[in-house]
Amino acid sequence: MNALLAFYGAHSKLIDQIGVNALLALSLAISLQAGQLALSQVALMGIAAYVSAILALQAHWALLPCMLAGVAAAVAVAALLALPVGRLRGIFLAIATIGFGEIVLVVANNLKITGGAEGLSGIPNDANTLWIYGTLAIVGCVWYLARRTRFALSVALAREDESAARGVGVDVATVRLWTLVLGGAIAGLAGALNAHSAYFITPGDYGFARMEQVLVFCVIGGVTSPIGAVLGAVVLSILPEAIRFMADYREVTNGVILLAVIIFAPQGISGFWKRAR
Amino acid sequence: MRHLTLTSIALCASVALILPATAATTKGPAAGKSVKIGVVADVTGGAGVYGTPQKNAYELASDDIKSGLIDAGGANVTFSVMDAASDGAQVANIVQGFTKDGTALMLGPTLSGEAKKADPIAVAANLPVLGTSTTAPGITTLGSCVYRNALSEEQVIPTTVKRTLAKWHYKKAAIIFGDDNAFTKTDGDVFAAELQASKVEVVATETYHQKDVDFQAQLTRIKDKKPDVLVVGALFPEGTKIIAQAVKLGLNVKMMGGNGLNSSQMYDVAGPGSAGVVVGAAWSIAGKYTGNASFVARYTKKFGTPPDQFAAQAYAAAQVVAALTKSGATTPKEMCDGMKSLPVAQTVLGPINFEPNRDVKSAPVILEVVKGGFTYFK
Amino acid sequence: MIVQQLANGVFLGAVYALFALGYTLVFGVLDILNLAHGAVFAVAAYLTWTLVAAGMPLPLAALVGILAGGVLGVILDRIAFAPLRKRNAGTLVPLISSIGFAIVVTGLMRGGYGIDERHFAESALPNAPLHLGPVTCTPLELTIFATAIVLMLALSWVMRATPLGRRIRAVAEDRTAAALLGIDLERTIAATFFLASALGGAAGILTALQYNSLTLEMGGRVELKGLAVIILGGMGSIPGAVIGGFALGIVETIAIAAGFSPWRDAIAFGVMFLVLVIRPTGIFGKRALRAA
Repeated sequence: MNALLAFYGAHSKLIDQIGVNALLALSLAISLQAGQLALSQVALMGIAAYVSAILALQAHWALLPCMLAGVAAAVAVAALLALPVGRLRGIFLAIATIGFGEIVLVVANNLKITGGAEGLSGIPNDANTLWIYGTLAIVGCVWYLARRTRFALSVALAREDESAARGVGVDVATVRLWTLVLGGAIAGLAGALNAHSAYFITPGDYGFARMEQVLVFCVIGGVTSPIGAVLGAVVLSILPEAIRFMADYREVTNGVILLAVIIFAPQGISGFWKRAR
Repeated sequence: MRHLTLTSIALCASVALILPATAATTKGPAAGKSVKIGVVADVTGGAGVYGTPQKNAYELASDDIKSGLIDAGGANVTFSVMDAASDGAQVANIVQGFTKDGTALMLGPTLSGEAKKADPIAVAANLPVLGTSTTAPGITTLGSCVYRNALSEEQVIPTTVKRTLAKWHYKKAAIIFGDDNAFTKTDGDVFAAELQASKVEVVATETYHQKDVDFQAQLTRIKDKKPDVLVVGALFPEGTKIIAQAVKLGLNVKMMGGNGLNSSQMYDVAGPGSAGVVVGAAWSIAGKYTGNASFVARYTKKFGTPPDQFAAQAYAAAQVVAALTKSGATTPKEMCDGMKSLPVAQTVLGPINFEPNRDVKSAPVILEVVKGGFTYFK
Repeated sequence: MIVQQLANGVFLGAVYALFALGYTLVFGVLDILNLAHGAVFAVAAYLTWTLVAAGMPLPLAALVGILAGGVLGVILDRIAFAPLRKRNAGTLVPLISSIGFAIVVTGLMRGGYGIDERHFAESALPNAPLHLGPVTCTPLELTIFATAIVLMLALSWVMRATPLGRRIRAVAEDRTAAALLGIDLERTIAATFFLASALGGAAGILTALQYNSLTLEMGGRVELKGLAVIILGGMGSIPGAVIGGFALGIVETIAIAAGFSPWRDAIAFGVMFLVLVIRPTGIFGKRALRAA
């Protein structure tokens, strides 16, 4: 027990980051479930992070209302974004949402209320491990309970066969819109928790590099399942710390592992897991 | 100037060869005790250009403490340099590790934004911090034991403006700065405030983004406003290109900038047009302080490139650490108290100690670019 | 001032266009986004720099750099894309493997070259400013511009008038049909990667020369801008990439000239966003590669 506590004491930051990354991976996984590649999750996360941080700093709101307001903002922006980009497919949706993310960054750099490039510091550090994993557990439970609902089936059908989905009366456009909005909500949770566990946020935290990272989580974990997304986030958040002993070869090792999984494990890490069962 | 620098390097290299033999390590109250110093630096990733010289400087300082060239009072000081890969999350993880592994003092991180994320973690665990390159406003207010030996832009720029104004008598200034980076944004903001306070009209303010390479559109616009002086709020990679492109476009005005431009390679990289550019900085490669020339010579010999300000400030931090252990400090609390009451320490930055607000007390140097390096701006 | 600004935009746009050509070629043929294109861009530039530093004349060194870029592209295809093609992995997975390849290449370059920015010796570059009427530019900029135009014309000639171009266009049109017609798919794809990456390499070398700067991340910087370019021009379209590149260069420059420098990137990506939403096929319409 003492050893466990000591381990937590030395690594709680990493443990918290893993939880936030898992939420982010889930937010992307929702749109992947609908066969959509929406790369706006990190920008939406950033919007929620800023909203919740500003409310905490200027209005001294408690964590929960800050989180809810952050999520509301992310959801609203996601819905507004979904209207024009909803009919885009595949790589076009991906590029449009990347563009959206870049625009959000520029806005965050230019507004007074966000502190521009100097960021916002002194954010209350009140989102502890319990909050982060509690949120993750709730999202996971809801996802699990909803897996056989009409909506979940429509999502799967929209991915596998669009015309069949239309045939049985599924409004594919609406389903896609909802996956973007729900993804925005989860990204919003991740953003608020991130802001409230990082002391300081800056627009650069929510750039394309991070989005790339989340995409890698989902693909390495296995795009077919939410479990894959979470696994990917866990493994790849730990990887850079775990191979710290590689010193100068750390970056190359990271890339080689990524390439090897992609090429030799078509189902991602969750594929190993399934095969083992 | 180049000639001068080379002679002094050669001279000091020979001094350096003699010194280790003559330097005697004193036996202080901490003699024989192990002191672990945690260094967090961006050796790789986007800020690797700044973190790598820091890592090099600690390697050199480590050798120098072993050889007795830096007197640490006989304490067994180790610098544990951890690469944060320019990733804020890794910085946080590393610093948390330092709070649990017996580290007595944390040096770093490389960037101010990282400090705002990581220093509170150290503060919560009563681990003292000494920043060597975190120049943004408000860093030392993060905790009662967060110090820095880096002169902030707010400390340097007023002197730069005052000295250049006295010599150049300009009326109209233009500013170009990076608006997506805390360091360059501070540069732009502080220069603008200082110029306005000095009754200089700012006729143009242009911005760019980090890693941009083409500044001609902004500079063409600035040229159109006919300023007398151009303020370059930039780090070295962007700064050299801004200066070279301004010269190319025929923007024949005086130019000045801050710490970010302090590299002895300015003239070689930005071209002959950069001669006369004024740089307000915290350290000069030709500084006449005790041990500076020897540091420059030995660093150049060991790593193949001359040290920059990032290296000098890191090396100076190691000298401060040695001064602390020499006076007997080995625990986090003793390190913190030691910095509070630090008598003047002799470093490659000159003699330094700390203000009550934990900023460094040291004089800025105002330099002018000449062929082969810098000379003092007079 | 406005003439100078337009000239600034055109010089900036030439590099965007050249970078985007290779990007759009790979997309047109394979429907994948190759995020390792930026790494190839950097490798070719560093190799050229190394050769020049070792005393090789610049034009020869640049040629070697361009060819090496092409070869690296073929290696990239064999390692990161070919295995995925065999199992029909779709378009998302190759995107990730290209990121992995880019990380490995960048890591190896860091090992070889270190982190410092590299520069060509000033004396090696024709940098004395020329004053052509209201425009100030350097002989180097003019040479780079001319080289970019020549390379673009060369690519459209290859695509239109050579057997290789016909094979590439057939594969882009319909891979299965092309295979039935007896076209060797893998060889054609390898040739596509060679061409695309050689152009990417050329763009890297020219950028390095124009701004006299080589950094490990030099490719990452243009990667997102390259996306905007190929969207403006229509993904897969060669003339589209060229015109899109110049258009983006000029739009960015005009945005700054009009006093909106803090908003420059938002304007560039905003235009891209609008084009996608209003006319996703870009200015030149879908799959102009087929017509080249």
